Amino acid sequence: MNAFKSIPDTGTQAEQQAWADLNIQAERLRPLHLAELFRADEQRFAGFNVTAGPLLLDYSKQRVDSLALEKLFALSDSADLRGWIERLFNAETVNNTEHRAAMHWALRVPADTELKEPVEGVYSDVQSQLDRMAAMVDKIHSGQWRGMTGEVITDVVNIGVGGSDLGPLMVSRALNDFAIKSSKSLGIHFASSMDGSQMAQLLQQLRPQNTLFIVSSKSFTTVDTLYNANTALAWLERSLGKCAGLMHCHFIGVSSKPEKMSEWGIHRENQLQIWDWVGGRYSLWSCIGLPIALRIGMEGFRQLLAGAHLMDEHFRSAPWASNLPVLMALIGVWNTNCLGINAHAILPYDGRLEKLPAYLEQLEMESNGKSVNRDGELVQLHTCPVLWGEVGPNAQHAFYQLLHQGTEVVTCDFIAPALRYHEARHTVDAEELVSQHELALANCLAQSRLLALGEAALAEEGELPHYKRYRGNQPSSTLLLKELSPFSLGAMIAAYENKVFAQAVIWGINPFDQWGVEMGKKIATETLGVIRGEEAAAALDSSTRGLIDFIKAQ
Amino acid sequence: MHIDLYGDTLSALVTAGSLASTGHNVVLRMPQGRVRQQIIANKAAYSEPGLRRLISSGHTSGRLVYGDFDGLPGADSRAVFLALDTDESALAEKIVTRLSQVRERSWLVVNQSPFAVGFTEHLEKLLRTDGGESRRSVVALPDFLQEGTALDGMHKPPQIILGCNDGYAELLVKEIFRPFNRDRDHFLVMSPREAEFTKLAITGMLVTRISFMNDMANLADSLGIDIESVRQGVAADPRIGPAYLYPGVGFGGPGFSSNVINLVDTLDASGVGSSLLNQVIEINERQKEYLFRRLWQHYHTDLKGRTIAIWGAAFKPETGRIDNAPIIRILEALWAQGAKVRVHDPEALPALLERYGHHSGLHYASHPYAAADGTDALMVLTEWKMYWNPDLDRLRKGMKQPVILDGRNMYDPAYVREHGFTYYGVGR
Repeated sequence: MNAFKSIPDTGTQAEQQAWADLNIQAERLRPLHLAELFRADEQRFAGFNVTAGPLLLDYSKQRVDSLALEKLFALSDSADLRGWIERLFNAETVNNTEHRAAMHWALRVPADTELKEPVEGVYSDVQSQLDRMAAMVDKIHSGQWRGMTGEVITDVVNIGVGGSDLGPLMVSRALNDFAIKSSKSLGIHFASSMDGSQMAQLLQQLRPQNTLFIVSSKSFTTVDTLYNANTALAWLERSLGKCAGLMHCHFIGVSSKPEKMSEWGIHRENQLQIWDWVGGRYSLWSCIGLPIALRIGMEGFRQLLAGAHLMDEHFRSAPWASNLPVLMALIGVWNTNCLGINAHAILPYDGRLEKLPAYLEQLEMESNGKSVNRDGELVQLHTCPVLWGEVGPNAQHAFYQLLHQGTEVVTCDFIAPALRYHEARHTVDAEELVSQHELALANCLAQSRLLALGEAALAEEGELPHYKRYRGNQPSSTLLLKELSPFSLGAMIAAYENKVFAQAVIWGINPFDQWGVEMGKKIATETLGVIRGEEAAAALDSSTRGLIDFIKAQ
Repeated sequence: MHIDLYGDTLSALVTAGSLASTGHNVVLRMPQGRVRQQIIANKAAYSEPGLRRLISSGHTSGRLVYGDFDGLPGADSRAVFLALDTDESALAEKIVTRLSQVRERSWLVVNQSPFAVGFTEHLEKLLRTDGGESRRSVVALPDFLQEGTALDGMHKPPQIILGCNDGYAELLVKEIFRPFNRDRDHFLVMSPREAEFTKLAITGMLVTRISFMNDMANLADSLGIDIESVRQGVAADPRIGPAYLYPGVGFGGPGFSSNVINLVDTLDASGVGSSLLNQVIEINERQKEYLFRRLWQHYHTDLKGRTIAIWGAAFKPETGRIDNAPIIRILEALWAQGAKVRVHDPEALPALLERYGHHSGLHYASHPYAAADGTDALMVLTEWKMYWNPDLDRLRKGMKQPVILDGRNMYDPAYVREHGFTYYGVGR
């Protein structure tokens, strides 16, 4: 078991000193109510917000002051954050357990970059796969991708799970307003769950003649995905018959393992490649993002990449005090390690971002949900908090009760676009919709204010019974986008990615592996044998045996 | 009578030429462009049988003169015709507005253009602005010209539908058309809106018949039935009759498609919508790729490096136009799959050249057999007379693969197969 300490005895002298200094700051600030911080400084916002590209981060509702920030910056220096950022962007082996670099950032380096290539050929490999993807996108959009009978493909189903599902799903939902108008509107669907729930529903709606499947899997061995793909193949074969043309017309594969794709039957022309050095949860920028490009077009996709690249450059070059991802990271470290808060809610005030909480749950918890440091020792500090979330206005009718009056301390990220419905396509209903957006914004700002200040937000409320009281004092950050566009969304996602990396550096862990998800897959294979009656149940524990007995008895 | 006519559509030329031929004095006011240049150079602007001669003899007689599109009719002009294209409604507004600004002058405007339903009334409102006491009307006279037989249609109309709310205007229009209205009264007079909608409804009915038969042909395919026998049986029923029952590779033409689309838009805009007509259009668009699908399956979903011959680019015989013709979708489908095309058409190659220029995937052949030589399949898209009886032996010798895809069911499948061809028809 980990022995948690407020000052870890691993790490350098400087790091230990930084933690010690931070603990003093935490002692000082912990008793202060957020309302007092605002009372003490009328201009608090001015000192505690940062902008980068299309984003504004307001962290004035966090329990920090400039002295605490100074110590957090000292911590970053002592952990050699600057050096680690350079190691990341120099393609050094930052993923130490899997002995490779993490180069998702290279996926968004523009074609005409003047940046030096850390590994020869990487940028041109990336561009050549993007070009191949662009050709496919064009063929599908122009109605020239044909099914086996020669009919036009009208529906595309992305089969993938985890990073091969959440990223494309989240972004293509978020950017639906930027959908390109192809001659006929293209249906884009997602199937991920291994129980086949989504497949079952999709196969009822779709026509085999018009349906194209994208099988997306970095390893091309993911059981969930291959089972879904096999179901799709059988469905096609039932109506169209077995033949070579079927694979050619109805399947695209995206993977880092061409030979595995070929083995499964993906036609060579229909294979898009990613690389070992892209983590699944960092892969929406690669050809895994094909569903995104199908929704918003290649130009939109390149805008998404451009936004992310802007954030990478900002992350590499900005000093800590104006570095948006680093500030997000340090605030998180402060809350987790100094203030002892272990729950974090993601609250977008824009229905288009409905999948963002799920996406960030994976990004943060799969990356930093670790308890062993880079030296293989148990960490002595808490790492990633528990993340969850929901579209804010809907969550107001669900778990905000706990945020306002429960016993747990929770930090929140409020996320909203400043502008909405100003684009030409909304002209007809613009007025009503703009007023709905204003209502959402008002709620976003009001909730974070009430969470921070408590009933003090309304000075003249007078004495309230206990059950009507709002104690406030729940810290939150607010991330505003100028508008939700491919560019700003790219910048925002990259900001979170870079935040995760910066936190991992401070915690001394590797954010790019995910060994915690491996063992379960293995055990499931054994259990499957027992459920199917091919293996004896004797080796299993009594709970599992009891559950299997119930299943089999039905 | 002195008449001014604005426009350069087929309908404009046919009307101008025909009216001049019966003694009217016509000023034809064409906008700058290809048609105007051709006409002034005494060349054919449309490959419509008889049209060039009609225009040129009208011009020689002095009764048909060419005026300025931006000019106003002279003092003795009694009627102004507008025969513009669907997308030129703004021009119509401009012309009518200019007419309306001539003080104290009476106007009769005859709108033959296929604009949206209600547009004639809209023009009338414009014309009457500042009209004072003068007599001003706009009437709708939708054209029912069929390309290829347009002159016959003008001279012996089965009916003339006139949308008109003004008795005096009605008399004047009937006077203009007296020579074409002799054996009986062909005029059906209704409101302008009704006339405009009638035109759309007729087109809608015709294309519905065609799409219905194409739908039947697709079913016949899957049931192993020859649609040709079925078509003859259906046509024999007097309640149905034989017209517009031929399955094929889809209808095209500037009028046909734009009119149906116009109708669908009209219905959509009114909030009624027509799921039937939407289907009709969709079936038609799918049908245009019908032969491509047969070919795609024939070559097991791989057409890369194949060369395909096409006979017929025009949307129908006796015209050189390719607007909305099946060949457009076929070419784009074949090119997208990496195939090359050699095409022959007796009239439409200039139109094709104008659209695609010198394209590496397109060879313009001057002779049908030259188009077919060395190809992996022959598609027949337009039923030009010259394609009805090809020398099949000559054809087979030249082709790399003896495959015929007959988009108009012109050939006898058994006879073609006897000559060693693989034959695909539509629904047979």
